[in-house]
Amino acid sequence: METQFLVSLTLILATFALYIGIAVFNTAKKTSDFYVADRGVPPVFNGMAIGADWMSAASFIGMAGTVMLLGYDGLAYIMGWTGGYLLLTFLLAPQLRKYGRYTVPEFIGDRYKNDTARLIAAAATIIISFTYSVGQLAGSGVVIGRLLEVNTAVGTLVGVVLIAFYSALGGMKGITWTQVAQYVVLIAAYVIPVVFMALQLTNNPLPWISYGEVVSEFTTLDQELGITEYLVPFTEGTKWQFIALMFTLMAGTAGLPHVITRFFTVATMKAARWSGAWALVFIGLLYLSAPAYAAFSRFILMTQVAGSQIDNLPAWTQSWVDTGQLSVADTSGDGTLQWSELVISGDIVVMATPEIANLGIFVIGLMAAGAMAAALSTAGGLMITISAALSHDIYYRSINPKATDRKRLAVGRWSIVIATVVAGLIALNPPGAITQIVAWAFALASGTFFPALVLGVWWRRANGPGVVAGLLVGLTVTLTYIFLAKFGGITLLGIIDTGAGIFGAAAGFLTNIIVSLSTKPPTQQTVEEVTDLRYPEQLKYENGEVWVKEKAE
Amino acid sequence: MKKIDKKTADAYFRTRTTLIVIYLIIGFCVSYGVVLFAEPLSSITFLNMPLHYYMGAQGAVLTFIFLLFVNAIVSDFVDRKFGLLDLDKEEENESGKAVNK
Repeated sequence: METQFLVSLTLILATFALYIGIAVFNTAKKTSDFYVADRGVPPVFNGMAIGADWMSAASFIGMAGTVMLLGYDGLAYIMGWTGGYLLLTFLLAPQLRKYGRYTVPEFIGDRYKNDTARLIAAAATIIISFTYSVGQLAGSGVVIGRLLEVNTAVGTLVGVVLIAFYSALGGMKGITWTQVAQYVVLIAAYVIPVVFMALQLTNNPLPWISYGEVVSEFTTLDQELGITEYLVPFTEGTKWQFIALMFTLMAGTAGLPHVITRFFTVATMKAARWSGAWALVFIGLLYLSAPAYAAFSRFILMTQVAGSQIDNLPAWTQSWVDTGQLSVADTSGDGTLQWSELVISGDIVVMATPEIANLGIFVIGLMAAGAMAAALSTAGGLMITISAALSHDIYYRSINPKATDRKRLAVGRWSIVIATVVAGLIALNPPGAITQIVAWAFALASGTFFPALVLGVWWRRANGPGVVAGLLVGLTVTLTYIFLAKFGGITLLGIIDTGAGIFGAAAGFLTNIIVSLSTKPPTQQTVEEVTDLRYPEQLKYENGEVWVKEKAE
Repeated sequence: MKKIDKKTADAYFRTRTTLIVIYLIIGFCVSYGVVLFAEPLSSITFLNMPLHYYMGAQGAVLTFIFLLFVNAIVSDFVDRKFGLLDLDKEEENESGKAVNK
């Protein structure tokens, strides 16, 4: 294990050096640079950065395991998290780009001409991003802890120091190019092991095509063992829970501030469309591979581990039994390990693959570096978003409008450092399972930002009182449902806490519409601004007429 | 600044909106539609997998990616048709540096 430790550490440090090198090289100078990278990032690379931002420790480590444990029902995560980019790119991104603000709360405040709405949105941004980043830091602690064989708490602290350092130094620009590098590292780490696994099990290096062979054997295997069938739908929850969860993840994705901010970094509406398309290609690569991981791992566990002599299990199982992630007690005492005697934690599926497939220490080290890239890149993007909400939307717009660029940059940097340290302290003792916290963040985003942004862009009649009421009611309904479903045992149509976003979004839309219609229409200026979003940026709408902008501006 | 006909501008908006509605309906069918009819679809096999499983694991995601690229390409085409993308402007867009300077 000594060599493994050195190889893992070297790979992690080498990739960190690369990220920090890029951040230092791009040290932000102007305020606009710090938040949105001067809008000079080409769509393909912006797509990669969105991908790195998006794919967190939960996606990298946990998703394949979720699919393996839930079977068909786990696919709600795959469709939900990718389908969100459809809503985002079609309904929101180009228009938000044309409106030309730095942050989501700033858009809401200016579109609805309402300072209260901006402050509520800033608070919601901070709550959502902060919750999400606690999960990331906890995840990075687990990865560092397991692969470097240090205490999880020490791992978390290492992550905190790194994130605080390069986020504060480089701002968005550093992060955008850093995240391109992180994407490359994490996708290589994710795809290489599953390709080798596919070669070993199916003699085909393309897991996406070949894992069907393995999946097709599950029905017989499951029926022989008499267990819940992998391919049969709605075994883990009702059909409505599947749909509600899928909706929550889609709408939440389209409403997550740290994802939307990415679309402010492109030059034009055209570039926003292309960035969204490229982003989903890069994200899809991981999401299409996760079910393959799930299928191969389940197949190996069913055929090579279950049914073996208890004292003759494959060698790789031992190290995972030691970590408590895998339990192989022969409770029936017949000397053979039955499937029902196996207890598997979903987290081991991706991390154990290099060992299962015997890929050697270099690939295990790469895996560690990839998982770290996933955790750190997402946390970095979240920190920038929190810092922008604090220093731009709250400090600059409400507390000290005369603040100089330098002063605002300083506030931004300090808020990153403070937010990272506080999130890190909470992550030392996380309040719940990582995937659960993440799902709540999505439910909150779909109950608050999704209705406010969609109506803000597409409905000219939506006004300030409408959005304030909509944000508050959406937030309340989402929180209430999560609480009732989780602790009160009250559910509707079998929809549990992770599907709460569908109720929050419905309440948010309805409230915004009803309150807007029963209060004064927005001013002529607002109506013109929103009408202007219908046309590309070469056109300007003014006084009922449409103008082509001259080139010299 | 030169004015363009409000009708032309509205035609542009209508075209774009219609297209987006079509894309969203397709996206809805391959995800929510398949989930709603998961049981009957499971008797069909595709790439060795029951169709409802295939659509959830690959089909829906591939359709989403396809739709986003179709949208990006068709939108560029629509912009050009309405005379909104002249050549040197487009070059500036590619490099992404022209705006905001």
